[in-house]
Amino acid sequence: MSGIESMFPVFQIAGSALTTNRIWMNAIADNIANINNVRPMSEAAYQERFVVAQELPSRPGDPVGIGGGVAPVAVEYGDPEGMVVYDPQHPYADENGLVRRPAVNLADQMANLILAQRAYQLNLAVVDRARDSYLQALQINGR
Amino acid sequence: MGGVAGIGGVLNAIGFASPAKGVTDAAGVVEEAAPAKGNAFTQMLEGLQAAQDNADNLAVAAATGNLTDIHNYTIAATEAQLMTDLTVAIRNRAVEAFNEIMRMQP
Repeated sequence: MSGIESMFPVFQIAGSALTTNRIWMNAIADNIANINNVRPMSEAAYQERFVVAQELPSRPGDPVGIGGGVAPVAVEYGDPEGMVVYDPQHPYADENGLVRRPAVNLADQMANLILAQRAYQLNLAVVDRARDSYLQALQINGR
Repeated sequence: MGGVAGIGGVLNAIGFASPAKGVTDAAGVVEEAAPAKGNAFTQMLEGLQAAQDNADNLAVAAATGNLTDIHNYTIAATEAQLMTDLTVAIRNRAVEAFNEIMRMQP
């Protein structure tokens, strides 16, 4: 994000989580988009994308125990074997009539999508409530 | 007198020299009590300027479609608003304290 030192670390922490959940939603969308992506037996199947998140070190001004949020550091790939399905009519079928379908469970992806959406909304709520708190603090003895 | 010390602290922070400091030095030499370089209010204004510049740059990026994380712009705008409000509140308090002292009748 920005390189300036922020006076309000809570916004940077929530912002890092918003970025991570946005990337997670992109990965889930990728998995769902490729759910019918059939590959021949000679190739690897479409591998499910997993986003690896890692907590960030604490920001200056916060005690060391409180971290700086979360960041996506890597992408892991799922099973390359996929689901081997007997489909002799398929143009990709080999001599045994087998093709590879991705080993992506649609129910899991939808559940993850709801988790990502809720996490994104919760972090937005953090930003909102922190902003309201600071604005109220400025109204002590204010104008 | 916590109130007087508090007013003095606010005035020092914004660079008003305390007249007592210049008068009571030894050997009759009156020191010039210059405001501290890089005092707290100047630093706050610089930080505020940086925050608003950042928010403006992100607004331009969002408007031209180059911003991948839209929450970055809203968070930067929120921070700029909060810092502006804080700076205005400090200025109001300092001006009010100054006026309070100026209203003192001899």
